[in-house]
Amino acid sequence: MNLKSIQTKALLALALCVVIGIGCIVGLMSYFTVENAKGIAIDAVTGSQKLFTILENREISKMTAVSDALIMNTQVRDAFAAKHRSRLLQLTAPLYPQLKSQGITNWMFHTPEPGMSVFLRLHNPAKFGDHLNRFIDNEVVRTHGIVAGNELARAGFAVRVIRPVYDAKGAIAGYVEFGEELGQFVHALKNQTGNEYGLLLSKKYVDRQFWADSSAMWKRRDNWNDNSGYVVADKTTTNDNILRFTGDLDTIPVQGTVLERYSEGKSQFVRGIFPIHDAAGNTVGAMFVVRDISASYLKMRRTQDILLATTVVCFVLGVVLLLNLLNRFIFRRLLHIIHAATRLVGGDFETVIKVESDDEVGQLERLFEQFRHIFVELMKQMTAMQEK
Amino acid sequence: MSQLYDLKIRIEEKIKSDDLDGTDVRGRIGLKSGRLLAFINPNTPDDPDGIAKLKRAAKEVLNLSL
Repeated sequence: MNLKSIQTKALLALALCVVIGIGCIVGLMSYFTVENAKGIAIDAVTGSQKLFTILENREISKMTAVSDALIMNTQVRDAFAAKHRSRLLQLTAPLYPQLKSQGITNWMFHTPEPGMSVFLRLHNPAKFGDHLNRFIDNEVVRTHGIVAGNELARAGFAVRVIRPVYDAKGAIAGYVEFGEELGQFVHALKNQTGNEYGLLLSKKYVDRQFWADSSAMWKRRDNWNDNSGYVVADKTTTNDNILRFTGDLDTIPVQGTVLERYSEGKSQFVRGIFPIHDAAGNTVGAMFVVRDISASYLKMRRTQDILLATTVVCFVLGVVLLLNLLNRFIFRRLLHIIHAATRLVGGDFETVIKVESDDEVGQLERLFEQFRHIFVELMKQMTAMQEK
Repeated sequence: MSQLYDLKIRIEEKIKSDDLDGTDVRGRIGLKSGRLLAFINPNTPDDPDGIAKLKRAAKEVLNLSL
């Protein structure tokens, strides 16, 4: 390889362009693949968060409608107003299994203020008389209106609706409360989206002993020590490895965040998380979202491979075409001029330089041909002079 | 006979013995040495610079040490 040759330099420059071009294409495609994966992850997080809010609002509406129907029942109202617990239980107990089958797992009656306490728990009738003193209890006492929101209590994390019940004379007889465990939302979310979910609860708001007791009662493994800042209350997968979050739940942005993209075997996943607030606005938990993006990722990779192959083929064809054009219009004609000039000096006065076009090389060919004529004429004259 | 002419004869002998394209070889040597071989005759006066250039050109083109 002659490194002084323009042809070699042009070839090297083109090869460098090909390498840079392909490198840029690969880099861009990788960037777009990462960005697309990020977009899918953001979509998974925001979509799940919106769906969670929709489910939450739907369940609040359902519990509000149930409470509307209940307080219109005068027998229930009067039994509650008379603080006749066994009568109230007798009237409401048949309804509880139906409501439970619809997801309403908590149903309580509370005595009015002052000293508001649990009067009857339909889901645990033997336990009553305790003071819960939660945010929603204080709110319903303050507003005497319907209060709804998430409440993380010792008994678990639930979306709750609490409202006042008035006796026949219009005085506050107490409060009725319905609640649905948020844990069941993860399964509804999975049914709707196909993503995997995990409900995390901040340990700051969960009682350690209660968690151990409830784990024993529900015959589930006590996972308190699995993570430092939170416990996994419910999840849609048996694979605990996918629920990885090392940060503080308090630091999760309101709109949620994408954590990472990762692979497991041939599958590609993205993880995200969004916070769950209680009625008081505290970040008491979070929903972990895992989306399998293998299909989309495979498509993106396939597109990347096709684009890369197309680019390589186009570049190589372009280089071949360009070199061919350079050879045809420049290098071959220059070599012919060099060849003709060498032969001219060697005594061949017959090799004519044909002007092939009117371009820059053509101008050189014309100039050289004119020069050749002058040279030949001079040679003839000098030869004649020598012979004389 | 001049030394330049002697060199020319030896170059011509090399072209003939190796059956080379004479016009091309003479042209290349002429361009490298700056002297037309056709005009070197027995009466051509020697000059040291011309001799040195011709020897160098013959070495480069024919690998011939003169």
